[in-house]
Amino acid sequence: MDILPILALNGLIWGLIIALIALGLSIIFGLLDIINLAHGDFFMVGTVLAWFTLALTGNFWAAFLIVPLIGFLLGALIQRTVIQPIRNVAALTIVATFGLSLILQEVVRMTFGTTPRRILPPIPGTFPMFGINYDIYRLFAAAVAIIALAGFFAFLHRTKLGTWMRAVRHDRETAIAMGVPAQRVYVLTFGVGFALAALGGVVAAPITTVEFRTGVDILPFCFMAVIIGGLGNLPGTAAAAVLLAFLEGIIQSFADPTVARISSLVLMSAVLLVRPQGLFKGLTK
Amino acid sequence: MMTPHVIARVMLIAFGVFLVSVPWLIPALLNPFWVSVVAEIMIWSLFAASVNLLFGYVGLLSFGQALYFGFGMYGVAIGVATLGLSFWPAFGLGIVAAVVIALVSGILAVRLTWHYFAIITVVFSLIFYFFAVSVKPLTGGDDGINFALPPTFSIGGYTGSFGDASFQYFFILATVALCFFLMHRVIQSPLGKAFVAIRDNDVRAALIGLNVYQIRLIAFVMAGFLAGVSGALFAFFGRYASASYMFYHVSGEAVVWAIVGGAGTLFGPIVGTTLFIVIRELVSTHWEHHALIVGAMAILVVILAPKGLVGLWNEWLLRRGARTAGAAVKTKLQTEP
Repeated sequence: MDILPILALNGLIWGLIIALIALGLSIIFGLLDIINLAHGDFFMVGTVLAWFTLALTGNFWAAFLIVPLIGFLLGALIQRTVIQPIRNVAALTIVATFGLSLILQEVVRMTFGTTPRRILPPIPGTFPMFGINYDIYRLFAAAVAIIALAGFFAFLHRTKLGTWMRAVRHDRETAIAMGVPAQRVYVLTFGVGFALAALGGVVAAPITTVEFRTGVDILPFCFMAVIIGGLGNLPGTAAAAVLLAFLEGIIQSFADPTVARISSLVLMSAVLLVRPQGLFKGLTK
Repeated sequence: MMTPHVIARVMLIAFGVFLVSVPWLIPALLNPFWVSVVAEIMIWSLFAASVNLLFGYVGLLSFGQALYFGFGMYGVAIGVATLGLSFWPAFGLGIVAAVVIALVSGILAVRLTWHYFAIITVVFSLIFYFFAVSVKPLTGGDDGINFALPPTFSIGGYTGSFGDASFQYFFILATVALCFFLMHRVIQSPLGKAFVAIRDNDVRAALIGLNVYQIRLIAFVMAGFLAGVSGALFAFFGRYASASYMFYHVSGEAVVWAIVGGAGTLFGPIVGTTLFIVIRELVSTHWEHHALIVGAMAILVVILAPKGLVGLWNEWLLRRGARTAGAAVKTKLQTEP
């Protein structure tokens, strides 16, 4: 049986979703200089909120609108209350986001429970491809992820808010001198970062399981994408996420998933040691 | 006159007396279960101290100390269960394994600093975590290895063994105290001054002739040693080793303990670890969601006391010292005319 194309395609789609989450991680990192250990849990909260939206309204599509919005508000709130007082001490923000990660997981355990649940694909039906029936929803998920990625880059380069975000990241002092409200840009960035992860959660919810632990598994993967793509290099991050998941998919076709995970970790160590500026430095921009 | 120095000395002695009297005091006041909690706190304090040595004194934030804890733990477990070693060779195997892997990974890791260092230490620990999960015949994976305790030593007719709760307690106390004493001596030594110089400004440290790379590597291996000892003790304490103790969450908890307690202070890791483990033990029996309190505490402490609890205490002592010194000057001035 030839499962290589299927696993490669699965990897590709999963990589597009990871790219969304990792972009959120990367803008928070690049702008606020925070290693956000709660970012995986932002994704997890997205999957859980998608489940609640479906349970309460009976309509999964509403989640695509509601959940990123809730994510944005939560992110803004977290930045104002938790991150802002300690913004200048990076080591403290790591502790604070670790605490945040515990709180988010525990709140989900209290409200949602510990049982992993599944959401049925909102688009039922399959599509014959590579000799098997492939879920149509997965193709749809890929399309949504691509549209969201394009939308994010358009926001970053074509709108005033996006320009502000880039300006503050590039040179905070000058940006403030030019009248950019840096304080609000921080809140906005954290909100957008959370919203991207939450959107990734909604898109992924029907593909993966919904439970309070998923964030812990996905966080290292997002960090890999950010590092291999180059810290602060957003297109590089997106490309690295897709590339990594694609490669893991291919390796999984002939080896254990753990072997695939170990090989991408080894690849990441090599990148960190040999090209800490990321694989794609000089290719983009 | 209670100067800060005297207060610190009195507290240290009281702390030492308390630790020695725990096996009699705690069962009389609470119940015997808390003796083993204190023993566990000491083991985890040593683990938090290994984070503190790197971050608090050398300025390298490691998020992967669980790797060296895990090697210490598995060195003991595999040594006893698979190789059939007795107590001391297994203990030695655990520590040597941790130090060797710390040396190998340190050679690569300390080339990087700050964020990159934090991330590569996580990556190294994750590689071995996934390895430990997948090599089930050797490590038992997530289920872990259980093993029967070998006796520690016998002198004449007396046989010491971890099966005896008091013996286990005092063995852990002695080992952890020795490690803290060694760490204290290192920090007081010229090497310790070099650590702090590099933490405060690595460029300047290099300019006055310190070999920054080499000194960071030494600190990294020492931290690996501390983590390895704590892992080996933990394996004997629990008669158990499991891959789940190598996951990055375990490293993360140690970072939280060390920073909440007070990074860059000898007793910070002990205070932070004690706080969180006591909360866990007190609350978890009544309320299943004790992690909420842990998370909230971590956030509150870093916002309200950025230098940690010991840092807060030290500032209070300093202010008090300044006040008493000021009062002394004042009385002198009054008596002079």
